[in-house]
Amino acid sequence: MPSSLVISAWSAISPYGVGNAPLREGLAEGRDAIAALDHDTYPVPFGQAALVPDFSAAKYVGKKGTRTMDRVTALAVTAVGGLVGAIAGELQARPEQTALVLGTGSGSVQSIMDFTKDSLSGERPYHVEPARFPNTVMNRAAGQSAIWHRIKGPNTTVAGGALTGLLALSYALRLHRGGHCTRVLCGAAEEFSTQRAWLEWHGRAEEERRTPLGEGAAVFLVEPAEDATAAGRTVLARIAGTRFRAYREPDGIRDALTACVRSTLDAAGVAPGSVRFVAPLGGGGKPAAEEEQAVTDALPGADPAWIRLREHLGDTSAAATALQLAAVLAAAGGQGLGPGEAALVTGVEPDGQVGCAVFTGV
Amino acid sequence: MTTTHELNAGDRARIKGIICDILEIEPEDMTDTSRFKEDHEADSMGAIEILSQLERAFGTDIDQAELSRMVNLDGVVTVVGEAVAAQSARAN
Repeated sequence: MPSSLVISAWSAISPYGVGNAPLREGLAEGRDAIAALDHDTYPVPFGQAALVPDFSAAKYVGKKGTRTMDRVTALAVTAVGGLVGAIAGELQARPEQTALVLGTGSGSVQSIMDFTKDSLSGERPYHVEPARFPNTVMNRAAGQSAIWHRIKGPNTTVAGGALTGLLALSYALRLHRGGHCTRVLCGAAEEFSTQRAWLEWHGRAEEERRTPLGEGAAVFLVEPAEDATAAGRTVLARIAGTRFRAYREPDGIRDALTACVRSTLDAAGVAPGSVRFVAPLGGGGKPAAEEEQAVTDALPGADPAWIRLREHLGDTSAAATALQLAAVLAAAGGQGLGPGEAALVTGVEPDGQVGCAVFTGV
Repeated sequence: MTTTHELNAGDRARIKGIICDILEIEPEDMTDTSRFKEDHEADSMGAIEILSQLERAFGTDIDQAELSRMVNLDGVVTVVGEAVAAQSARAN
């Protein structure tokens, strides 16, 4: 059964800048946000990266209480902050009715390694900064975002590689269906760091090392359509459904994803020809080609606009599929998807999963 | 017997810098006797953080019981001086 939930607000931080407007404008111009890296600050093997320009916790979250807040946490707190204004009344009255579901890679691998290094290399193992310990757990960003903005509903961290944003959305639908909350703030965040760069470098095949790393965050307000309308919020897209499948060998990507997209469209009763926007992950050479072919196979008769975010923003890892959805909403405009229009977000995780989400206008 | 080790002005400035950083206040807002909790809104986590940061900075151990004396800059300087002195006494 198609979900009855909609997206009625979104908030993005991308290498184009903090906020929805920079993403909207950057995409409209087709601008590259990838730039040369300062190797004094980031001693990494990559020459380029797509960083959120001039971002710091002190600048965007505030000077007070942010001394030990790491970058991914600050990105998450800032992105969630971009949404809480839209539900200020609801948060004030019933803070326990708003859930937060946030996707992440491994939390901050930089924070984890820094803390461990301090313990191993200091005068004593316990000569560490206790206030930085919370940064070493992967649910730090979700937890801190909720504390900072006084969101008291279920608080969940989801990690699933490149599919993280879609998996978080899927989790959010289940959480709501189970009656655990009235609405969900759902999204994903990823930071650029020296340690993440080294891990990615060593984890990648030679030919994949050319893709620079990006960072950012995107969060969505997910709620029943009638609640959005009653509160005067524009319904930007209905969440028609999410699906995930596994594949065994790389040459199985195409079939797995085609089946995944078809079944999502069928279950939601969405005609393939109505898909107006497609935002694929586009990761790696061969998987990216398989991904696009799978989508083309699944959408006979459609002539969608393709939004290829990775070309402009690099590999945003755990935040990628959430940023893809943000890009779809940016392209759809202030009134969202129109009646009879649909959008598709897809992803391929090299470890063997594919996934997609379908959205429609109302 | 407690021995005191006179910290120099550089050490004192360093301690003040560490504490101001943790309490997120400007150095000019802190005097030698302004109280962390009452005057600068420090909580128990802040107190622990001050203790452990000083242990790191001076490569020494400070007993948590000393927290009761570490209520202002003068108190902290005294405690750190004693800890450093105790450390060098053990080393000798």
